[in-house]
Amino acid sequence: MTAPARTTDALHVEEATVVAARLSKWFGAKVAVSEVDCSFGPGVTGLLGPNGAGKTTLLRVLAGLLVPSSGKATILGLPPKKRHGVYRQVGFVPEDEAVYGHMTARRFVEWSAAMSKADGAPAAARRALETVHLTSDADRRLSTYSKGMRQRAKVAAALVHDPKVLLLDEPLNGTDPIQRARLIELLVSLGQEGRTIIVSSHVLAEVERMAGRVVAMVDGRVAAAGTVAALRDAMSDKPRRIRIDTDRPRPLARRLLAGEWVEAVGVDAAGVEIRTGDARALGGDIAMAAREAGARITKVSPEDESLDSVFRYLVDLG
Amino acid sequence: MKALFLIVGSIAGRLMRLRRSIVMFLLTASPAPLIFLVALSRSDDFAAEMYHNVTFTLGMGTLYPVAALVVSTAALGEERKARTLPFLLMKPVSRPVIALGALIGAAISSFVILEAGVLITWLVAALMSGDWSLGIATTAAVAVQSLASAALFVPLGLVLNRATLVGLGYLFLWEGILASIIEGIQASSIYRTVLSAWADFAAVTPDTYDAVDQILGRVTIGAGGAAAKVAAMALISVMLTGTLLRRRDLVGE
Repeated sequence: MTAPARTTDALHVEEATVVAARLSKWFGAKVAVSEVDCSFGPGVTGLLGPNGAGKTTLLRVLAGLLVPSSGKATILGLPPKKRHGVYRQVGFVPEDEAVYGHMTARRFVEWSAAMSKADGAPAAARRALETVHLTSDADRRLSTYSKGMRQRAKVAAALVHDPKVLLLDEPLNGTDPIQRARLIELLVSLGQEGRTIIVSSHVLAEVERMAGRVVAMVDGRVAAAGTVAALRDAMSDKPRRIRIDTDRPRPLARRLLAGEWVEAVGVDAAGVEIRTGDARALGGDIAMAAREAGARITKVSPEDESLDSVFRYLVDLG
Repeated sequence: MKALFLIVGSIAGRLMRLRRSIVMFLLTASPAPLIFLVALSRSDDFAAEMYHNVTFTLGMGTLYPVAALVVSTAALGEERKARTLPFLLMKPVSRPVIALGALIGAAISSFVILEAGVLITWLVAALMSGDWSLGIATTAAVAVQSLASAALFVPLGLVLNRATLVGLGYLFLWEGILASIIEGIQASSIYRTVLSAWADFAAVTPDTYDAVDQILGRVTIGAGGAAAKVAAMALISVMLTGTLLRRRDLVGE
């Protein structure tokens, strides 16, 4: 994970390279992004939120593909919708699976390099394809690629001109675990080089692995921003339901009830369901409780930790 | 300049995909068997006259504009629908250059596809009439048609989901019906512009000339005038498409 950009407050960073200033975007009566006011700086920032939160729209407005309904978006101090020269310093990986199917990956990346006025386009394309581990398949048409391979080809095309700012919309979608790990490693290293990387995702665990800073969105608004740790702290006093599968549910439930952080316990034949106001304290006590109760734990899982519920909780806090 | 070539190459490469090209080729080459069957065992002059008549009515009146419409609306429209526009637009290239690249790419693709059909028809007619200069005028007309259609339908494809359908409506209503009954709008007709260029090069009989003149109405025969008109259309089209690319939402929510 990269160190987060230094912040002036939770929403803004020093040395901001990408800025959303009271940015709104609506389509007819539907408000997709509402009064978003935040900035992004060097390092990896996760743009996090459930599906429909407005992440893609925000990225598209920031990228200059959509006209803001109100407010302003700038990259490196310039509005990309009007000052296209800024794209020399910007890479973008759209969420859509679409690619130029009639081109090979090599042709696509070389074309992107030349269009972005990169020095030595063929060599730059070769390096970018190596970076995403596509060299051996580079001469196949993109229409024959799997979704994960297309994602990597798009990442290569976004990287090929060595941009200072990289906007990636759900770049890990469709990738297998090995590819995902490699892409995360790549994005982390790019962030450590001082580039501004904004990665949208609806998977908290993914973002946590690469982003030092998180901007969380719900219903088109910024629900929370800050470091991943700060976000977790904000969530820590949320009552949680946690299920523990065990061979001795009743003794374990009795023992756990002795802890002051357990608010309610439900027992069934396969395990225990606990409602707690302090999941962290409970987590620290589970192993001890199991030992004392002589219970063998087979699984511990959060029952209500979908990103959607977490973020709705954060919105309610605000 | 390099970016312009790259855009033209990318758009033309996509537009001339095999399946679409074959369908459009079959459409534009469809007069060839007609001429062969009807002119078989007739005189050489009959074959030449039939070639001219089929070309300026069926070819320039219907087949060539429809094929050019399909290709031109796809130039940016297909990119928008396939959601590949960000790859083209998020580049340090001015919007008018992208618009010009799309226009040239569409015009070249239309010309190549249309001319393939023209060549087949030309070959058949030339073999039957012995006149190998028959298709020169049609080639000039197809060039004018390709550029004019690209100028009109590239921006339409960018803004409308059903641009091809709207374009067909335009060809049928405006070009086919209104322009033939309202003299005042004949100067705006692409069909008549293309026909005026064709008639300047084609060696036609007096009967054919009269028929062409009747269709042209107020439009005078002349390749120079047609070229100037289409060049002006292309210029306006580039400015319009550039403005649309700069000011409109180019992807969905």
